[in-house]
Amino acid sequence: MWLTSKIKQVLMVLKPGTVTLGYPFIPNPAPKDFRGQPYWDHHKCIGCGGCAAHCPARTILVRDLCQELRVMLYDSSRCTYCGRCADVCPESAITMTDKFELATGDREDLTERMELFMLTCQRCGRCYNMETENIIDKMDLKGYRYDNLDARALIPKATECIDTAVLTETETYQRPAK
Amino acid sequence: MPSRDDIKKSLTDSFKGAIVKMEQPIDSRLFVDIHKEKVREISNAIVKMGGRYQVSIGYDNIARDKTLGLVHAFAFDRENLFLLLRTSAPADAPVFDSITPDIPNAGWSEREYQDLLGMKFTGHPKPKRLILADDWPAGVYPLRKEIPWNLMPPAAEDVAYQLDEAPAGCTTVPVGPFHPTLHEPAHFAVFVDGETIKGCDYRGFMTHRGIEKLCQTQVSYNEIPFIAERICGICGSVHATAYSQAAEMAFGMKISRRAEYIRTIMLEIERIHSHLLWLGVAGHLIGFDTVFMQAWRVREPVMWLGERITGNRKTYGMIVIGGVRRDITPEVKEDILNVIKKIETELMTIHKAIAGDSAIHKRTKGVGALTREQVIDWSLVGPVARARNVDIDARRDLPYAAYDDMKFSVPVVDTMDVWGTVVVRILETFEAISIIRQALDKMPNDGPILTPVTEEIPPLAHAISSIEAPRGESVHYIITGENENRPERWRVRAPTYPNLQGVPAMMMNNQLADVPIIIGSIDPCFSCTDRMMLVDMQSGKAKEVSGKELEELSRKLTTGR
Repeated sequence: MWLTSKIKQVLMVLKPGTVTLGYPFIPNPAPKDFRGQPYWDHHKCIGCGGCAAHCPARTILVRDLCQELRVMLYDSSRCTYCGRCADVCPESAITMTDKFELATGDREDLTERMELFMLTCQRCGRCYNMETENIIDKMDLKGYRYDNLDARALIPKATECIDTAVLTETETYQRPAK
Repeated sequence: MPSRDDIKKSLTDSFKGAIVKMEQPIDSRLFVDIHKEKVREISNAIVKMGGRYQVSIGYDNIARDKTLGLVHAFAFDRENLFLLLRTSAPADAPVFDSITPDIPNAGWSEREYQDLLGMKFTGHPKPKRLILADDWPAGVYPLRKEIPWNLMPPAAEDVAYQLDEAPAGCTTVPVGPFHPTLHEPAHFAVFVDGETIKGCDYRGFMTHRGIEKLCQTQVSYNEIPFIAERICGICGSVHATAYSQAAEMAFGMKISRRAEYIRTIMLEIERIHSHLLWLGVAGHLIGFDTVFMQAWRVREPVMWLGERITGNRKTYGMIVIGGVRRDITPEVKEDILNVIKKIETELMTIHKAIAGDSAIHKRTKGVGALTREQVIDWSLVGPVARARNVDIDARRDLPYAAYDDMKFSVPVVDTMDVWGTVVVRILETFEAISIIRQALDKMPNDGPILTPVTEEIPPLAHAISSIEAPRGESVHYIITGENENRPERWRVRAPTYPNLQGVPAMMMNNQLADVPIIIGSIDPCFSCTDRMMLVDMQSGKAKEVSGKELEELSRKLTTGR
C-alpha cells in the first residue's frame, strides 16, 4: 500500500515535469482585461473628481489651487488596482493598462499629477472645464476640494470631533500590575 | 425539527411578557425584540429547538435612545431561517446576562463588545480582553460613535496580557506570535504534561485593523465591497458577496438572476483554489512536501483563470452591490470549462496518490478528535464540522445566489479527526467543479449584470446574510445609516472566529507535535506585524524599536518628512 502510493507519487511528479516559467528572462504578458497601472488621458479628463469620490483606497486626490486651476494627483503607492476609477469615469479618460512591473524605489515614479485649467461659472461660482459641453451638470461639483497633496492625505469629509473629556481617563490610566 | 411557524408560536407562547415585537421583513429572517432580562432564557430555548448560534452583533444607539443594542443571531439550518434576538440596555448601565455559560461560542462575541462598546456581561466565564491591544486605555470604547476613527491613544510599553495559569504539573509552551507553522500572528500558550497537551490559551487579534469602524465612518456603500474583499486574502469574493447581499436585502432590492449565477461561479472558483491551497499547506505542515508542491501546481491555472475573468489573480474586485462588474461571455465560459476539466483529472491523480499513503494517515487519523456533540455545542462550522458528522452547509441550508438551482451533495464524514477534514475538502472540490458546470449550463442569457440602486435607502434597516466560504460559514450583518451614504453598523464574522474557539478542545490530549496540523486543519485566517527589531550588522547588537520610533520612522518614509 505504502509502496504503490509512493510509485503513484513519483509518476504524479514526473508527468508534468518542470512547470516553472522563465519569467523574468522570458516575458510573461498579462491577459487582455488585466487591471494594471491606470492611465489618465488628460485630453479627455473634465476634472469632475468622480474617480476621487469612488476610490476605495483614497489614492486619487483633488485640490483646487484657485478658481482656474485644479490639480488631480494619483498616488499609486496605496492603489489596490480595483479599477473603479475606470468604471465610473464619465468620459472614459481612465483605462487600466496591462503594466504590472511597477516596483520602484521612488514613489514619485508612479505618481500622476494633472493640472487642469478650469473656468468659473458666472452664475454659481464653481469651476468647470470649458472645452466640453454641458459639463457643469455632469460634474455635480460641491464647492472647493482641498486635499493635502503633500501628506498625500484626503481631508476627511466628516471628521467627528472627539470630546476631550474622554481622554482624561487615558492620562490617569493605571497600567495593570505585571 | 419544528417549522418556521412552530418556532414563532412556541416563542410567543412561552415568552409572552418578554417579547416586545416580532418582525419578518422576508420569510427567512425573523427579528424578535425582547427585554434584556430574558436573553439567556430565550437563547437557551432557541438552541433547544435546534437553533445554531452564529454570532452576536453589538451596536451603538446612544444618539437615538441612549441605549446600546445587542443582537444574537441564530440559524435554523433545516428551516432556512435566521432568528435574530434583538435587545438593548441603557448606555449608562449596559449590563446583559451572558449567554456564554450555555453557548460557549458566544464567548468571543461578548468579550468583543466588552472591549469595543463597553458592555458588561454578568456570568461570563472568562471576561478577559480579546480584541484591543494590551495598552489601549480602559474606558475608551472605540466602536462608540463619539470616538473618532483615527484616535491614537498614547502607547504604553510595559503592559502584557495575563495568560491563563497552566494547570498543576503542566509546562507552558508558547506557540507564536511568530512561528513557522502560523502564517499570521497569533499566540497560543499550550499547556503540556510531557508531550501531551492538557489545555491551551489563545491571544490573538494582533492585527485588528478596525475595518468595521473605518467603513462605518469614512467610506460609502459602494466602496465597502472592495474593502470587504481584503478581509481575507483567500476568500475575498465570499466577503464581498456576503456584504453585498446583506446590503441588497437591507435596501429591499433584487438583482438579476444572471448576476446571481455569475456570483455563484466566482464563489465556486474561489472554493477550488482555496481547498487546493489548504491541501498544499496541510501537506507542508505534516512534512509531506510532495503534496504541497503538486497541489499548488494544480492550483495555479485557477489563479490564471481568475486573472483572465476578472483582471486580477486573487482580489477579484468582481462583486459590487447590485450584481457583478464583468460578464461571463461564451469565450470565458469555454475557458472555465477547459480549466476545470484539467483540474478535475489532476486532482484525481493527487487524490489517488495520497489516499493510500500511510504517512498522511498516521499524521492525521485520530488527531484533533472531537465528538459530534462537542462540535454542536461549540457551534463549529464548515469542513471542521462536516468532518465530525455534523451535516450543515449554508449553500444548501440557507440558500443564496443561485444555489437553490444547483444539485450537489454535501460531503459529510464521521472520522471525527483531521483526516476527515482532508477528505471533506477534496470531495468538496469535486462538488465545486460540478456546480460550476451546472451554473454555466443553466445560466440565463439575458438580464443586466449590474442593477443600479434606484430606490431611497431605508434608514436603520437590519439585514443578515451568510455565505458558505471554503472554511465555513461567513456571516455579515448590516444596519443601514441615516442620512449618510454608509452603514450605521457592519459586522463581519469570518468562519475562523467560531472555529478557532474550538481549537483548545481539539488539541486536548493530543501530542505537541500535532499542534501545527490541528491549528492548520481549521484553515485559520488571522491576519500583519506590529513590532520589529533592528540588528546592527557590524557590532551584532540588537536594538528594540519601540512602537513610537517605528511609527515616526514609517511616517518619515511614507510622507518624506
